[in-house]
Amino acid sequence: MRFDLDMPAWKWPFYVARHPFEGFEDLRWKKAYNMKVALVIVFCFFIITVCQQQMTGFLYNNNYVKIFNIVPLFTSTIILFFTWVVGNWSLCTLFDGEGKMKEICVVSAYALVPYLITQIVVILASNVLLRNESAFILFMQYFGIVWSVVLMISAIKTVHQYNIPKTLLAMLFTLAAMVIILFLMVLLMSLFQQVYVFVYSIYTELMYRFSI
Amino acid sequence: MPNKKKVLGAAAASLMAVTMLTTSIVADQPYDGYNYDWWGDPVPSQTGYVVDRVVSGLDLGEGTRFNTDDQLKEISEQVKEDVPKTQTVGAFLNPQDIFIDQTTKLLYIVDSDNDRILVTDVTFSEPVTIMDYFYNPETKAYETLNGPRGIFVRHDSDAENDNEETLIYIADYENGRVLEVYKDGTVCQQFTKPSSEFYEDDVTFQPNKVVADVAGNVYVNIKSITTGAVMFAPDGTFSSYYGANRVEQTAQAIANKFWKTILDREAAQSFIQNVPMEFSNFDIDNEGFIYTVTESKSATTDVFKKLNPAGENVFIKLGYSDLIFGDMATYYYRNTTYGSQINDVDVDENGIIRLLDYKNGRIFEYTDECDLLFIYGGSGNQKGLFTSASAVEAYDNTVYVLDMRKGSITTFKRTEFGDIVHEAMTLYSDGKYEEAREPWMEVLARDSNYWFAYIGLGNAELSQGNYQQAMDYFYMNSRGGYNRAFKQFRMQFVRDNFNWFMIVIVVIIAAIIALRIVLKKIKKKKAGGKQ
Repeated sequence: MRFDLDMPAWKWPFYVARHPFEGFEDLRWKKAYNMKVALVIVFCFFIITVCQQQMTGFLYNNNYVKIFNIVPLFTSTIILFFTWVVGNWSLCTLFDGEGKMKEICVVSAYALVPYLITQIVVILASNVLLRNESAFILFMQYFGIVWSVVLMISAIKTVHQYNIPKTLLAMLFTLAAMVIILFLMVLLMSLFQQVYVFVYSIYTELMYRFSI
Repeated sequence: MPNKKKVLGAAAASLMAVTMLTTSIVADQPYDGYNYDWWGDPVPSQTGYVVDRVVSGLDLGEGTRFNTDDQLKEISEQVKEDVPKTQTVGAFLNPQDIFIDQTTKLLYIVDSDNDRILVTDVTFSEPVTIMDYFYNPETKAYETLNGPRGIFVRHDSDAENDNEETLIYIADYENGRVLEVYKDGTVCQQFTKPSSEFYEDDVTFQPNKVVADVAGNVYVNIKSITTGAVMFAPDGTFSSYYGANRVEQTAQAIANKFWKTILDREAAQSFIQNVPMEFSNFDIDNEGFIYTVTESKSATTDVFKKLNPAGENVFIKLGYSDLIFGDMATYYYRNTTYGSQINDVDVDENGIIRLLDYKNGRIFEYTDECDLLFIYGGSGNQKGLFTSASAVEAYDNTVYVLDMRKGSITTFKRTEFGDIVHEAMTLYSDGKYEEAREPWMEVLARDSNYWFAYIGLGNAELSQGNYQQAMDYFYMNSRGGYNRAFKQFRMQFVRDNFNWFMIVIVVIIAAIIALRIVLKKIKKKKAGGKQ
């Protein structure tokens, strides 16, 4: 064997990033799924997205940083990630996928690592580069995204033991499932809000009655 | 309880009175000045212009016809009624255009539904001249106007006498012609519907606006033609179309293009043709560039463009054609779109551009590099607001706006703040950044929201070599400026700290080499231990 696979849990994400094809197979074989590392990565995803909005250099920052609102950033990272996990799990359990919820969560988080690393580089570089040196930043961004997407395909393929076409199809349908989940969540939230308003108005009504 | 309420009520009433008092003191203008910040959000700003006077036709008193007494006799014979020399001017009826002749300081008013042109000076103090009968030497008869819509005046330096030096072009809408007359009203030339094969027979020729360049080429804006202005050579022959807009890239236009590439030619013919919006008004500057505006609720392509003599939009190369002119945002509320509809443009001698927003009655003032300076005016019936603004012109520091429904001309004069901004701007555009520093500072003292002052100060610092301060001024104000300042700053920083950089790099390389050696030794030891 070329590599020593008995490595600490935090080394695994970097190992799979360097071995996009057999890395996840090794992970599966070693059963080295570590939820703590995965959660740290997802949290880093959130923090780096916040940094990306706030700390990108002025020359490259197209975000509306006049006001800082953390809710959309939280939604577009952590909530989106877990929606992906839930969506993928609920779809693939129906289509002979072998992955468990925990496994999907861990491999999806590991697949994000290249994107996060390149984002850090981009944020740093955007503070020292001029406008006409944007090619480097653009390249880094695309490089990170493409690498992460390749890793994600490999991760889903391995964790469910699919072939490539089925993996791509499953991922596509996962996106549709995510839309449905988010829609239902919004619907549920608005319903709960109405219930809350209803209860609150009864409460205020009663308070007026008793105060007189 | 009731006592308390009364006291509270009295307090509220007095508070309201105080606020009303203060607002009535502050709000001496019917509109609030505003400007746009880096994000395109409106921010309050000092007004650059205040209303000076409102002049209607009734204020102008007696007017004199420009025809001689002999001519008036002939006219009376021709129209079979008495045409007096002097006449009360009376109210304007649906006036469509004004023009200010910068050299003679004369103001021409196109009083459309009265079928006449009125001439007065820019201060409205000179007696009004009425132009309605024009002698045509060819037919030996007098020509009248029918619903004129546009006017332009040009001075021909090669002319033989003083009379022929001034050329007045009138877009005679209903008569379907452009009339070129001398100062005394003699018709020099008529531009009518061209009989060229490029001008289709079923297209009407109803001139809306007209301009002429120094060489005597005449450009006629016609609302029913989307391929640009109709351009006539000085001798009156049709030469070409000039400066059409580009087709608006709507989803439908893109879809049509897609289907046209797939389907054969006959099937593609049945599609709706995507034609560009016709532009609605234009103006020409001292250097011969023609500026056009397109009045549309929805169009965003080529709303405002600057054409070189070849008819190309020079703003495209400069990136200005991607800017939003007029108000930044459009709102859709109860079946009505609230957005800017720009229907007139004026470019003055200093290159200052003024766009007239007909929908909101606002004037947007830009520099020649399309940087927004001021927004003033508004929609309404008060003095200084407009119900249907139709034309804008400027002379010196005064801006003239014509309202066709009110039938009046409103003049705006520049405020002290406006003077300072323009002083700074003039210095700035001449490249005298350091001299402009003082007025820009004054601008910021009066209005810290005035974003262009930061750019001016940034350039002043940059020209002095204070890159750090320049970056501070450019931050959130100008990306181009920040880029320039940062480039210099970075270079200086690297130069100043070159030794440190080298030391750090050498140390890092040394550390890596050392680490490798150490790691190899450890591995060897481990391997040795295992064996």
